[in-house]
Amino acid sequence: MPQIFVTTAKGETHTLNAEPGTTVMMAIRDAGLEGLLALCGGVCSCATCHVHVDPGWMAAAGEMSEDESELLDGSMRRNEHSRLGCQILITSKLDGLRVTIADED
Amino acid sequence: MQDLADRDYFTDHSILLDPYAYFEALREKGPVYRLPGRDIFVVTGFAEALEVLNNTVDFSSAVSTGGAAMPLPFTPEGDDLTGQIEAHRAQFLGGDLLVARDDKPHTNSRALLSRLFTPSRLKANEEYMTGLAGKLAADAVANGGCDLIKDINVPFATLVVADLLGVPPDDRDHFMKVIAEGVPPGSLDEQERTGQNQPLVVMAGFFVNYLMERMQAPRGDVLSELAAASYPDGTKPDIAELVRLSTFLFGAGQDTTAKLLGNAMRFIVEQPGLQDRLRADSSLLPDFIEEVLRLEGSTKMTSRLARKTTKVGGVEIPIGTKVMISFAAANRDPRRFENPQEFIIGRPKIKEHVAFGRGAHVCIGAPLARVETRIVLEKFLQKTSYIDLDETVHGPRGARRLAYEPSFIIRGLEELRLKLTPRH
Repeated sequence: MPQIFVTTAKGETHTLNAEPGTTVMMAIRDAGLEGLLALCGGVCSCATCHVHVDPGWMAAAGEMSEDESELLDGSMRRNEHSRLGCQILITSKLDGLRVTIADED
Repeated sequence: MQDLADRDYFTDHSILLDPYAYFEALREKGPVYRLPGRDIFVVTGFAEALEVLNNTVDFSSAVSTGGAAMPLPFTPEGDDLTGQIEAHRAQFLGGDLLVARDDKPHTNSRALLSRLFTPSRLKANEEYMTGLAGKLAADAVANGGCDLIKDINVPFATLVVADLLGVPPDDRDHFMKVIAEGVPPGSLDEQERTGQNQPLVVMAGFFVNYLMERMQAPRGDVLSELAAASYPDGTKPDIAELVRLSTFLFGAGQDTTAKLLGNAMRFIVEQPGLQDRLRADSSLLPDFIEEVLRLEGSTKMTSRLARKTTKVGGVEIPIGTKVMISFAAANRDPRRFENPQEFIIGRPKIKEHVAFGRGAHVCIGAPLARVETRIVLEKFLQKTSYIDLDETVHGPRGARRLAYEPSFIIRGLEELRLKLTPRH
């Protein structure tokens, strides 16, 4: 099973097992890590699963849809590495992925 | 006289008018409280509610439609009930509905629906919603009033979901009739509960055809998207699964939204000065709707089954017992919301309320419900100078007569007769 490394706002890095077919948001939510509300549950309609992807992993994390980009526009924490965790689908290619949970707006 | 906290929430009609007082009486007993002599814990605390909702390892959702009071269809054995739950799933009321599924079958089905309520899709439907709400509101104003629930909310919520999914206009009236004749989920009368999924059965016959047509010739609507969807591992769902999901979306989306609209309108007519404030500044509507959801969302509670012995808020929940999570009580927890019984527009972090639940099972249609509610309220406020309750039906201010759906799940008015003064 792919492993991903998730850094919280406190700076702690957790190693999570992430099942292919689930999402980065689900892995973080199910691990109960702090700081990720994921209010809409993964339907790409809020921006409360905002993460910053490690620069080297941006391409592997895949393309962003217009909806996702517009939602991220609403966040003051958006930067060039911003993604919504619910829109990054776990595949074997993401084994080793590193993300940081974005600070709450 | 019987203590309020000792009444039977699942059958007692007298709790319907004010379930909030009942939940406050339970809160006094602690945020996680076992009903005396029963295998049911009631969670009234906000943090504790999140603990249960986010714990899909120890809790199963199999009892979410049948309710925490339904006896289990088996005698619990061992230290993990997952196998027994799956073996008996068909015997749980609504056990194969999306809300009741667990683990991978739930994750897989939900993934199929994850692109249906995105901002761009809702925007595409907003024109239809605005036109329909405008027409319904104009007709109601021309008539001097309406029953907001039956004349406006039910047709609106039904037609919007129908339009979003791509149900042909000719079949929509038939669906409305079937839904109107159905009973709401969580009926207090036990013999009615077995009939609560009947409208879904009728609609299933139609949806098989819609989906097969779209497998042959996609049309760019939600049903076409569903017909073409794959599970995350690339395999295709069978058509029976797609029918279950689409009828479920149809059924789940309309009653709850219709009731939310009714609850919101009751605040508008009963809170002094509120309607003028919202008319003067419609940008307050989203925050207003969130506060209505917090204080009076249309889903009062949900239920979980402990499939392993676990803890919530430090309280041991033994395997095989059930937990009733009161959204209504969690949203009025004074540890989370200051002056929780007060109606305040613009509370900080208001969207974190649990009116739509939280976690893996959070309401998938919440984004749609919010848009629908905003648009209908906008139209009613635009077209009127004053909205009031019809006193001949509901009695005078301070002594209102209001009837609520006899359901332990749904919080909503059966009827809301309005008097509408047009705007000149």
